Parts: sequence; C-alpha cells; structure tokens
Amino acid sequence: MKRIKQFFRYDNVGWLYVFPAFAYMLYFVGYPILQNIILSFQDVTMRTLTSPDKPFAGLQNYIEIFQDKVFRTSLTNTLVFTVSCLVVQFLIGFALALFFNRNFKIAKPVRGLLMMPWMIPITVTALMFKFIFGTDVGILNYILSSLGLIKENIEWLTTPGTAMFAVICANVWIGIPFNMILISTGLTTIPKELYESASIDGAGKVQTFFKITLPLLRPTIESVLILGFIYTFKVFDLVYVMTGGGPVNSTHMLSTYSYKLSFEMFKYSKGSAVANVLLIILLIVGSFYLRATKEED
Amino acid sequence: MDGEKKISGMKNVFLCIVSLAVMCILLFPIYWIFVTSLKTEKEIFQIPPTFWPQALNLKSYAAQVETGDFNMFQSFANSFLISVGATLISVVLSVPASYGIAKFRFKGKKVVLLGFLVTQMLPVAVLLTPMFIMFRNMHMYNTPWAAMLADATIGIPFSVLILKNYFASIPGDLEEAARIDGCNRFAAFIRVLIPIAKPGVMVCAIFSFLYAWGDLAYGMTFILDQQKRPITAGIFNFMGQYGTKWSYLTAFAIVTIIPVAIIFIFMQKYIISGMTSGAVKG
Repeated sequence: MKRIKQFFRYDNVGWLYVFPAFAYMLYFVGYPILQNIILSFQDVTMRTLTSPDKPFAGLQNYIEIFQDKVFRTSLTNTLVFTVSCLVVQFLIGFALALFFNRNFKIAKPVRGLLMMPWMIPITVTALMFKFIFGTDVGILNYILSSLGLIKENIEWLTTPGTAMFAVICANVWIGIPFNMILISTGLTTIPKELYESASIDGAGKVQTFFKITLPLLRPTIESVLILGFIYTFKVFDLVYVMTGGGPVNSTHMLSTYSYKLSFEMFKYSKGSAVANVLLIILLIVGSFYLRATKEED
Repeated sequence: MDGEKKISGMKNVFLCIVSLAVMCILLFPIYWIFVTSLKTEKEIFQIPPTFWPQALNLKSYAAQVETGDFNMFQSFANSFLISVGATLISVVLSVPASYGIAKFRFKGKKVVLLGFLVTQMLPVAVLLTPMFIMFRNMHMYNTPWAAMLADATIGIPFSVLILKNYFASIPGDLEEAARIDGCNRFAAFIRVLIPIAKPGVMVCAIFSFLYAWGDLAYGMTFILDQQKRPITAGIFNFMGQYGTKWSYLTAFAIVTIIPVAIIFIFMQKYIISGMTSGAVKG
C-alpha cells in the first residue's frame, strides 16, 4: 500500500494521463505486431486462421519468400521506386521552396494551394493518374502525340517499364508539397544576417547557396530524406489502386505483395513474413531518424 | 533567398506569373478530373480533348443517388461516420496523454515516447492480418467499428507528438496560478490548459480526420459489404467493375475530395502548422 502511494506521488501521476492512449496503442498496434511475428513462424491458411492452434512452421516461410522470385522483384521494385521518388521530389521540392521563399506578392497563398496534392486521399490520386496515363483516354498521350514526340499511343499502365514510371510520377506529385514545406520551414530558421554579411563580403548567389544555405539546412535535409524514405518505402494504396502490382509483377512493392499473399491468395503466414521484412528495413532506417531527433532534444 | 526584402516592380510581376504557371501545372490533375466529371462519356473520349465541357453534364452525380449498388453518397456517409469516430477516439485519448508527457517526469516516459514515434513508421501490411483476426474474434469484422478503431491508431501517435509540444510551451506559472485559485491539477488541465492548447487540438483533430478519410487498406480489409464500406474502398470497387466509366469515376473522386477541400479552404493555417511540426503522413 505504501509503495503504491509512493508511486503516485510526484510525477508518476503522469501515467494516469498517458495510460489510456498507451494502452489503446498497445492493444491495437503493439499486440498485433507481436501476433504478426508469431504468424510468420506458423503455417496459417484460411482454415486455421481463427482456430486457436496453428501449426508451427519455423523459418519455412522466410526461406520460401527469399526463394520466391516475385518477392525478390518486389524488394528491388520498392527500392527503385523509393530512391527515384526521393531524388525527384526532393529536387523539385527544394527548388520550389527556394522560389517561394522570395518575397513576391502572391508567394504565400500560392504555396499554400500547392499543399493540395498532399492532402487528397491517395485513392483519388491513384485514380487521377490512372486517368491521365490512360492509353486512349489519357491526356498525356494526347499531349505527347500533338507535340510529335510519339507516333502511337503508349500503353503506360500495361507495359512493365512505363507502369513503374507512372506510379513514380504519381507519388512524386504527392511528395513535392511535403518536401517543399519542410524545406521552406528550414529556410526560415537561417539567420538573415548571414546572407547580408555574405553579400557585403562579395559572395555570389551560387557561393552563398553552397556555403551558407546547404550546410545550415543539413539537419532539415536529413530528416526530410529519412522521413521521405519511410513514407515512400511503405507505399501501399497508390500502387494497389493504380496497377495492383502489375503488369507481370513489375510494380509489386513489398506492401502490395504482402497484401496479395494474405488477402488474395490466403497465404497469411507468407504475407506476414513479407510484411516483417518490410518492417525490419523501415526500423533500420527509422533508427537514424530517431537518433537525429534525440540529438535535437 | 532575398528573405524579408519585399520585391517590387517588374521582377515582382515576373515572379507572380512564374508562380501561377507552376501552380497551374501542379494542380492540373485536380482540375482535369473535375472537368471530366462534368462531361458526357462521349466527350471524355473526344480528340482533341476539351478543356471545359461543351455541354454541362451533371448526370454522373445524379445517377449515383438512384442506383443502389454503388451509391457514393452512402459511402460518403460511411466514411464520415468512421472518420468522425476515429477523430473522437484519437482526440480524447491524445489530449491527456500529451499533457502527461509534456508536464510530468514519470518513470518509463522515454519508452512511451519511443513507442509513439515508432508506430508512426509502421507499414500497414504488418497490422492488417493480425487486426483482421482480432476484429473477427471481437465480432467487429464487417462493422464500421473495425475501421474506426484501426484508423484511430494512425491519428493517436501523430496527435500525441504534436500536442506535447503545445503543452510543453505553456508556462508552468499559468498552471500554478490556477491551482492557487483552488483548482486541483486535473481541473487546471481541463479549464486552463486545454483552452490554451486549442489550436494544437484543432491540428490533431483535422489530421486524425484526414488520415481516417484517406484510409483505404483498413476500410477495404475489415469491411466486406459494399454498402458499409468507406468511400475510398467504394471508388476502388467501382474502378474494378466499371474501369472505363470515367465520368462516374471522376464524379466519385470529386465527392471524395469535397470535405478535404472544405477543410483546406477554412483551416489552411492548421494544416501547414501540422505538416511542419514533424507532421508526417501515415
């Protein structure tokens, strides 16, 4: 009794406030993660899904997925997709942030409007780009052919290489505002005096950019890239709606392949194993972010 | 990079024009589906494409009300119910939790914080199957509850991490003053601190709503019947069945964007603040 009293003296009362949210997350997220790990070491199918005893499979699922060609393709696809998106959206986002950082009249409202793509439900974005990249109905083919760049309509979403290009374009469209706004905020933290004294010293624009802007933005750039990696690497809705992983698995990501294994082929355990591989990669990258935020505190 | 200096004259005009051009290019896809939703199916396939409908066609919207199978207004209502529920759960749980983290030095605080940070990184694929089993066992599978409870797990960590900064920035004196006036700590939290942190609470509510509104994976996995599914899953089903009926599909998409657009127009400052204070999409 005394111990309980002591526990709730001082600041441990804080637990009373934190507990409901913490318990909720533990029950609806923590416990499922544990279940998913267990699931990946079992052999669970449609029949055994809700039964209490599920056959143990050891490492079998993991061995099988690494021998699975589609899994390896998905892993490569996810990497290619993530890196391409990161590079393109970062460069465009950075350029736009610099552009809108200049104090012309409509800079702020226009930049605000450019947030729109980030807020739209991803399912809608996927539909939008499916329409734009459509073979006969798509505006992109029309523009390209009226510019004389193509002779015949390209079947963007049903040809392996171009399908990947299309999903990358759609994801970059979502990612640009995210990069732009975070870099914009980073830019405002750079003291103005630095630029003033640099210009007094006769430094050119290019020089100031490489000697002042870039080095001082380093923490911002790091967190934008790491966060960007995490959110791009776990992409699901966009690809699932736009291509469903096709054609011929050419756009399957780890997440979409895991979903397909679990909810279309009902190989729940294999799907869980794929999801866990995805999780491990994210946690490794995420630990860099956590280290960076810890330094800030 | 010219910072505070106001730009005027020709340069100002030039930059304005460039920025408008950038905006037109980047926002073109949204305009394009909006115009398409107002065209007839025939006009959509017309070459050269029209940039404004020759004859305004509102049938794509009206037809949805009549047909039972893919009633987008029913889906809209489902999504609304699920999103409001998820927002409520998220706000009610996150507000006290973030206050607790910001103002108390309790044992295990670091672990709790780390937990919330990590859940923001989780891929949905990890949670789908175990949650699916869980909701089946709880007899919530195929009910809006499943999607609501699952969607709240996206809003909570985000809200806690954002709000804790708001609470931490409130000076301790204010709380002290309230306690001298006879409030206990809990009453001070309810009557003094929450009103001050209101903008932060708004940010959390808005993002929790938007996360839930945009969710597809939970909605389509945990709810089986089309009549009960959220609007995103409705669009997805519709695409599968009537893949080339673009007039209906784009109308469906526009209806899905409406609440987002309303929030965007009236609450833009909250959105930008949410995005920049470590805001991240789930």
